[in-house]
Order: sequence, then C-alpha cells, then structure tokens
Amino acid sequence: MLQFKLVLLGDSSVGKSSIVHRFVKDSFDEFRESTIGAAFLSQTIKLEKHPDVTIKFEIWDTAGQERYKSLAPMYYRNANAALIVYDVTQPGSLVKAQSWVEELKNKVGDQDLVICLAGNKVDLCDEDATAREVEREDAQLYAKEQGLLFYEASAKTGAGVSAIFQEIGEKVYQKKGMEVPSSAQARKPLNVELQRPSTNDSTSCCS
Amino acid sequence: MEDKQEPPKSQSPLVSEPADIKKFKSEDFPSQNEDEEPFYDFQAFVKLMKDPRADPIVRYTRSFLNNFLTKREFWTSEEQRKLVNDFKIFVFDKLPFYEPFKSADAANLLNAKEGMEKLIMGKLYHKCFSPCLKSQSNLIDKGHKTDLNQDAMLEEKREEFRFIDPEHLEINDKISSKLETFARLSAKELGRMNDYKAPRDKMVCALNACRVIFGFLKHLKLERDGADAFIPLLVYAILKSDVESLISNVNYIERFRYPDFLRGESSYYLSSLQGAANFVANMQMESLHVEDKQDFESKYHANQNALKKERYSRQPIDPHKNASIPREPYGPSPSDYILKPLDGATNIVLSKFAELFSPTSTSPEDYDGHQNLEGHNDITRLAQEMEEKEHARVLRELHDMFPDMDQELIGDVSIAKKYRIGACVDVLLTLSS
Repeated sequence: MLQFKLVLLGDSSVGKSSIVHRFVKDSFDEFRESTIGAAFLSQTIKLEKHPDVTIKFEIWDTAGQERYKSLAPMYYRNANAALIVYDVTQPGSLVKAQSWVEELKNKVGDQDLVICLAGNKVDLCDEDATAREVEREDAQLYAKEQGLLFYEASAKTGAGVSAIFQEIGEKVYQKKGMEVPSSAQARKPLNVELQRPSTNDSTSCCS
Repeated sequence: MEDKQEPPKSQSPLVSEPADIKKFKSEDFPSQNEDEEPFYDFQAFVKLMKDPRADPIVRYTRSFLNNFLTKREFWTSEEQRKLVNDFKIFVFDKLPFYEPFKSADAANLLNAKEGMEKLIMGKLYHKCFSPCLKSQSNLIDKGHKTDLNQDAMLEEKREEFRFIDPEHLEINDKISSKLETFARLSAKELGRMNDYKAPRDKMVCALNACRVIFGFLKHLKLERDGADAFIPLLVYAILKSDVESLISNVNYIERFRYPDFLRGESSYYLSSLQGAANFVANMQMESLHVEDKQDFESKYHANQNALKKERYSRQPIDPHKNASIPREPYGPSPSDYILKPLDGATNIVLSKFAELFSPTSTSPEDYDGHQNLEGHNDITRLAQEMEEKEHARVLRELHDMFPDMDQELIGDVSIAKKYRIGACVDVLLTLSS
C-alpha cells in the first residue's frame, strides 16, 4: 500500500474539513477513526484507473484563520499533495487560495507536489443561482495556467468529492508510485567524523 | 573481531560490528500496528536483555553509550540526532539475529525497540535534552542554544500576553466557561513531558494534551471544524500554561524518536505543537485578532507595568545574581528531570537497570537477574507506591474536571481505561453529554 501525505489548505469558512469528512464517510473502505481527533484523518482508496493500487491518504488539516498562516510550513513540508479549497460564493476565499498556490510554488516547488484547487459549496448555487460569486470558468482557467488539478464540489451533497481524491491519488501515483515514502530515508545524511572504538577498549563489544 | 575498514553507511559509527553478519533493513520487520493499542512494557524488554544470550546486544549497547559519553565532551544536536538514530538502525537490525529476540514475535520485537530507545535516551538524556545543558551554555552548540533561547522567548511571551482572551485567538465563541478547565488540564499534560526522559513517553504526554482538547471539542460538537477549532485552543492552552522547556521537549522528541515510530498521527500532532509553540514564542499584537485596539493597548501596558513590579519583587536579594534575569539563571538542574516512565512501576527498575550501562560498569558478569533479593523487594514496593500515587493524581484531576459526576463512576472508568487520562476524558465526556 502506498501512503501519501495530503495537506488541506483554505480559509476557515470554506468548509475544507467538511470535504474531508465527506470523503472519509463516503469511501466504501472501512472508516478508520483517528484516535485523537478530526484534524488528522486517514483514508484508504483504490484507484479507479488502477484497481490493483491501494493508496492511503494521511490528511493533515490546517487552521484557516489568517493569523495561523505562519504554522502552515510545519504541515506542508514533505507533503505529496495539497488540496486548496475555496468557497464559490466568496470571491475573497479564491484570492486566499491563490496566495496558497503562490506560497507552495515558492516554498515547495510543484515538481514534488500535486496541487488541487477545489471550489466548495456548489449546492448553494443549485438552490439559488445568484449565490455564485466565482465563475467556474474563471477558476478553471487560473488552475490551468498554474498547472493545478481543478474541481468544483459540494461537501453537503457529496457531489464531486470522491473525484477530487481519485484524481489526486492518480496524479501522485504517477509521480511517486514507485517510491514508498519513508521518513527514515528522508533524513539527510550527515557526515560526522567519528573515532571508532579502539579494539582494546574493555567495554568495546568485540574485544 | 577487528574493525578493518570504514563502516558502511547504515552502521552506527560508535560500535564495532561483526563483519560477517548479513544486514537486514529494519523495514523488513513489521512496524507498529495502528489498529491496536501498542504493546509497551519496559520490564518485558529488561527481562529479555537479562537473558545471557542477549549478551552481544548488551555489549553493543554498552559500547555505544560508553563511546557517546566519553569520546567527546559535546556533540552538536545534529550529531547527536545522527549518532542515536544510526545506533538504533544498527541495533534494531541486529536484534533478529540473537536470542531471545530472535524467537520473539513481532509485538515483542517492536517492544524491544521501544525499550532500547528508552534505555539509551535515559542514559544520554543529560547530554541531549537542552535544559540539562543550561549551566554549560557557553560551551554548547547552536542547536541546543537555540532550544534554550526559544524556551526563554516562549516564557517571556507567555507573561507578556497572559491577559488575552479567547477571542483574540479567534476561538469559536460557542466555547463555554469550561474552556479554562480544559486548557489547564491540557497544559498539565504538556507539563508532564518534563517528567520523562524517553522520547516516546514525552510524545504520549503531548498526544494526551491534544486528546484533552479534542475531548472538549467533541463535547461542544465542534470536532468537525478540525484544525480551525483545534489550533487556536492548543495555542491558548500553551499561552495559559506554565510548562517549562516546551520547545526543547518538542525538539528532543523530533530528534530522538525513531523516525519509523514518528509517523502519521503522532507526526501531525507534534508538528501542531511545534507550530503552536512557535506561534506563542513570536507573538505580537499583530498576530492577534484585536477589535478595540485602544482597549487592547491599555491592557497590554497595564500588564507590562504589573510584570515589571513582579519581576522586581521576584529578583533575588543576592547581589551576585544577574539582575536582568528574573528567573533562576540556570533553571532546574538536570536532577530535577527525574525519570518517570509512563508505565509507572518500571521507573525504579529502569534506573537500577540503566546503571548497568554506565560507562564505569564493567563486565556482564556483574549483573544477573539474582541481585540481592531485598533490593528487589524494595524496588517492587517503591514501584507500587509510585503507581498508586499516579492513580490518585489521575482521579483527582478527573474529579476537578467533572465535579458533577459520580465519584464511583469516575473510579470505574479510570480502572477500565487503565488510568490513561486521555482515554478517561473521552469516556467521561461521552457520559456527561
């Protein structure tokens, strides 16, 4: 099984946690309740395009309030994917999402990171067409220019949610499929000059 | 066995190794099963180590500890990380070749790895945990010094901003009066990190602190807000706490917890704690949500004045002491950080056992399982007393948190949950809501 780290970014009111809850709840694999709380969730999926490939997402939620922005690097380091969520009824949240895209591109580089932009709360537009403040085409164009995956979704109805994770899984698999992330291997080697124990040392293990 | 050549990369540089043994990677062996409660029993590990057939492992370990402690006065924090990690990789690879570890099942082997980490970090703690090096601050490296400076910054900021309200951190306004109680309880768990030396034990305290916060959020049905709700509360708990050396503790866990054990959820909550602690250490008015700037500033200045007075009165009369530092200049001595493993009863056993690994200790013949029996009884008695004290403490804290709840019920829950405070809080919250 491949294990991928996904960091969840976006303003506090866009419902990013709800998207993850919907994903975790709707996935047919058994729901793996985390032992501590909902800020960290994991969920396993099978890739539709590669039914023999199972992926476990470890989903790292971040605090969306602007003042906690400085904590984000603690979360996105070593991430394989980032899901950046905005609210289609709040144009400001797209601006915030775009600033996350910038930051990730500057700090992480998109060679290593699959970024997906997702517009949430499309159910509100179905109820009332005037609620929409961000046109799908505009956001999609921006995502295309930036080389991001793009989806619109509704955590409330579930529309589009599983497709987001399927697509991210597929893309990460293509990028990283063969190498299994290991924190032990990720440690940078450090060259330390060390004296080996002398062999006549009485405490040396091989004397 | 002679050491003829440079060690291969994965070998611990501080031990010599029989060259003819085929190496296995530690990944070849099953790692922690996340579904089950991990099996963690230091005494079981001690028992295996006391088996005469474990002698090569004991020797490797003693050789490593001896060299770590005597080859050089100071290693940098990065060198320490590297040395300890390399030794763990090395010795974990060795375990499956020697009885009694060879025939141990996966769970026991995993427990042996945990035990080994606890054993070596218990012995190296005074060299690796930055607050233990405070008195030698002119000699130590940048890494340890940075830990100490950040701890000091955090403590200063905590005083500077001790007057702030939940709203300044954008804590959901649905959060009730019980906030203070839970923040205090969470902070208490954080503070217990200073009671343990093993990275795992410290990590468990950190996770319990987070568990208490989530228990509170579940109770308020805000759990689904995830990090949006959790992080502000964690920051608040840190800000309102008096935990010493928080950042040193977090960095110590990150450095000395075996990377394979620091994955998934643990890694997430450690990062959160690190982020929240740094947030407090760098706190400014601009980092807060302030609606009435004037009001905030007047509170800020009032607190500054009060602090000045307090610091002045806290100042030692002794003229030789540095007047600019209100606190004890060197903080708690290393001996204050006494060893208290989480599995209560093993504490004394560990310290006795660890003596065997001190650089002055000689041959393996010096120890066998049959030391004098009286000493053994003392140890058992002491361990029991400690465990009883620990249980009483958990009960007291739970009574404080749930004053309306039936005492007997709290007692039953505590027994059922083996006095693990995090698990107890979860259950009691469910029962009370």
